[in-house]
Amino acid sequence: MANTLRLYLTCIRNTLEAAMCLQNFPCQEVERHNKPEVELKTSPELLLNPVVICRNEAEKCLIETSINSLRISLKVKQADELENILTKKFLRFLSMRAEAFQVLRRKPVQCLRLSNVPLACEKTLGYDISFLITNYHCEEMQKHKLIDFIVQFMEDIDKEISELKMSVNTRGRLVATEFLKQFI
Amino acid sequence: MAGTDAFVEADNAEAIITRIEHKSRKIESLLKQSKPVEALKTALEGSPPNTRDERCKSANWIVVHRALMAIKDVDGMFSSLDPEYYDILMKYLYRGLSTGDRPTCDQCLRIHEKLTERAGLGCILRSLADTVNTV
Repeated sequence: MANTLRLYLTCIRNTLEAAMCLQNFPCQEVERHNKPEVELKTSPELLLNPVVICRNEAEKCLIETSINSLRISLKVKQADELENILTKKFLRFLSMRAEAFQVLRRKPVQCLRLSNVPLACEKTLGYDISFLITNYHCEEMQKHKLIDFIVQFMEDIDKEISELKMSVNTRGRLVATEFLKQFI
Repeated sequence: MAGTDAFVEADNAEAIITRIEHKSRKIESLLKQSKPVEALKTALEGSPPNTRDERCKSANWIVVHRALMAIKDVDGMFSSLDPEYYDILMKYLYRGLSTGDRPTCDQCLRIHEKLTERAGLGCILRSLADTVNTV
């Protein structure tokens, strides 16, 4: 169990080290604009193959690279309804404060839409949180530290969610005990 | 021109699928003789280079998947696999990782770690950057 986690994180780390080869590239369509190409996907020659690394059916990681930016989307393991809600709330809390994290994206990447009809499974197919790293981040910050941050984030998120779940259960039990004492 | 290309593709596709079926029979026999490395080599060579036909790619993927899941000793495999197969193996590993099926992903993650140690980050980057010969 712990072994697959280690292999999964090693695989992601190696892929990120190879994929984080970013350079400045001004926009080809509009003068004087500089946009992260992985978000717009206008020119296919600037994009590399997106890669999905799955640990199992519930956890996966999508890495899309382009010439000047790299997008990492994570789907975190959610075993039951409670973890589902906790993950959603916690990651929303982080995404709202994306400015402080610099490399965080405000909205997680959704699944590819082929038409405008909303799919029932859309919520489960999309990802929970996304990072957007541009060449400017690579210039200001060290590449291996960025990768360490992402991998550390993935390790810590599981611990955080289990801690939150435990505290919710403990609080619930205490409240129920106190409340039901009056009926004894 | 594009019309003749499509025609040649369709013809080729049938020929390629027949070749893949031959390959899969050979691989089954090699696996019965417990030669998983040979089976993997046979599966990887002659991978459809320029077909854009999804069926050929899927057929070849099924064959490679069979050979990959039969491998138990990863280090031993690398000592007998030629370096020219590393790039194509990396592409198939990423295809395996995208399936999300637990045993496949476990096996692919194990092989991926060892392959990166052997072949380096260049191998990963070549599989990411090659948009023409996808697997």
